Amino acid sequence: MIRSENGYFGEFGGRFVPEILLPALTELEDLFFALRDDPAFWQEFATLCQEFSGRPTPLTPLRRLSKQLGGAQIWLKREDLNHSGAHKINNVLGQGLLVQRMGKQRVIAETGAGQHGLATAIMAARLGLEATIYMGAEDIERQYSNVFWMRQLGSDVVGVTTGAQTLKEALDEALRDWAASVETTHYVLGTACGPAPFPELVSYFQSIISDEIKEQSLRQMGRLPDEIVACVGGGSNAMGAFGAFLETPDVNLVGVEAGGVSLEDGKHSIRLSQNTGETGIAQGYKTLFLQNDDGQLGDTHSIAAGLDYVGVSPILAYLSQQGRVIPESATDDEVTEAFSLLMKTEGIIPALESAHGLAGGFKRARQMKPEQNVVINLSGRGDKDIFTVARAFPQREWTEFLQREAVRSTEALAKKRGH
Amino acid sequence: MFPAQYEDLQIMSHAVIGFPSLEENEKAIAGLAEAGVKLIELQVPFSDPVADGHTLVNACYEALKHGGSVQATLDLATTVCARHPEVTFVLMSYLNPLFRYGLEELFEKASAAGIKGMIVPDWPVEEIEPWLPTLDALGLSPILMVTPNTTAERVEKIAKASRGMIYVVSRMGVTGHETQWGEKFQKYIAEIRKHTDLPLAVGFGVRTANDLNALTGKAEVAAFCSQYIEWQRDEGSEIAANKMKSIIREIDSPEA
Repeated sequence: MIRSENGYFGEFGGRFVPEILLPALTELEDLFFALRDDPAFWQEFATLCQEFSGRPTPLTPLRRLSKQLGGAQIWLKREDLNHSGAHKINNVLGQGLLVQRMGKQRVIAETGAGQHGLATAIMAARLGLEATIYMGAEDIERQYSNVFWMRQLGSDVVGVTTGAQTLKEALDEALRDWAASVETTHYVLGTACGPAPFPELVSYFQSIISDEIKEQSLRQMGRLPDEIVACVGGGSNAMGAFGAFLETPDVNLVGVEAGGVSLEDGKHSIRLSQNTGETGIAQGYKTLFLQNDDGQLGDTHSIAAGLDYVGVSPILAYLSQQGRVIPESATDDEVTEAFSLLMKTEGIIPALESAHGLAGGFKRARQMKPEQNVVINLSGRGDKDIFTVARAFPQREWTEFLQREAVRSTEALAKKRGH
Repeated sequence: MFPAQYEDLQIMSHAVIGFPSLEENEKAIAGLAEAGVKLIELQVPFSDPVADGHTLVNACYEALKHGGSVQATLDLATTVCARHPEVTFVLMSYLNPLFRYGLEELFEKASAAGIKGMIVPDWPVEEIEPWLPTLDALGLSPILMVTPNTTAERVEKIAKASRGMIYVVSRMGVTGHETQWGEKFQKYIAEIRKHTDLPLAVGFGVRTANDLNALTGKAEVAAFCSQYIEWQRDEGSEIAANKMKSIIREIDSPEA
């Protein structure tokens, strides 16, 4: 796994936070550095992932789809089969072990699509911790089912109404909470971004994905894959899928960003390709941000709430600059097409975030030879996207069902109030 | 200039450039100067101000819609520094707008505009240290922050890199909420004084005349910012300046 130099990866990374947060980051870093090379700690983590989340997740060959596309053999790393439905749980379970060692009783988290918030709510419930989850008001509307479950699990979900009301604002708000609560609260950052040591720490726990891909490829393909493809929002599932292959140049690593509806400002979330992102320092770290000439962070768009982020992992910014990671993007339309294709050909319902990886991966696989292998990291499952997908593929009966359900739900509430 | 150590309490207040508008900023600053405010922070609005509470977050958001920027701040600074020589102007910003402008060029222009100091909450001491020779040559004082959980070792390091004064964050959290000024706070101040001869500017939670009275004799500067911006937002710059004037009169002659 890649290591930082004093928190930096090339020119990116660092720790640019208000002084008040510094002691907690130092404490976390000291603990992480003391544990990360300890095989017993990794074993404890792997066992927890096995017992609680069903790891190792399978590597599934897409035989019908590969044949249909006529290129390389496509395999899916099934992070969608994790408990909670996404790779986010890996990092959260790992940070849970750290929280227990630090003895803190409260956790906070930011969330975009709600998968990281959901994973944090699950971990908090299991460990008996108090949890507050910050989520942009816009994202709450997009991913209400996750909000519903977080609240049922006992977490406090706070809607953030500043700015564009998405992931960036949720992260700002989590940092503000942390400034007041840092002595008793751990901030479970959900992606490989933010101030050191988070990019390194989150990538470390997520690297369990690529450890498994390596072993499974050797067993199932008889060799390592030619290419690994992952969607990139903050970058945690990509870092997880790439981690074990960084020093194996024969394996191409491809990160697919959200192309949104167009390359116009505010209509996409592409930071690594096409000179869209510019070096900046915000939200505690230095990376490529979508920003204007005055250094104000820009607005983003994606059909997938989890990719709708203005910055990107400093590790991926560095690897992309070095040419080790190949940046690609997929538009909202390409994504819904890939989403539909996977469902109908292979019977798997992907998250819209992960469907960006599919769109990029399918495109590349078509150009490759049948004896080559592409692994796409299917970072999450699509159940949570039912409302968004229903709007992308409108059907009269679904709308009518929602109307009936709204009536039933209103009646249930009136009955509860009546008691 | 910055006050001397143990000088009587002075008030530092605030302008978010572009809030409520660039023209209004000039009038508001004139009002503050007339009210007897000795130091004024000129805040470059930022899209993601993580150390600020909702008052300043929303002011930043509004300011950006009304032309607030690094350049607008420098332009305004040139005007107000010349117009109000009795006031010490301090540039307050998050790092990214300054970084994008180009740090070296920014420092030169800020100094040329007449700005005397800089407060940048997300710029840690380790990253400032290499710039100290440049800043010293320009007479631009980095005013670093100390917080209640800063270790003695780090206070020492921060004190060494600070110029003009040290910004003492009164409590945990962000700007815009109340603070208690009891024994614990006094001990905290005393600890910091062990490491520095610089005057102390106390901020976060300075919202009433009582707060100012509590700080009299303990700090050299009180940063009276979010409450002032709330007055400005709700009642306009003129009334906000009048309120500031009466509060300063109150602490200057507590018997009156």
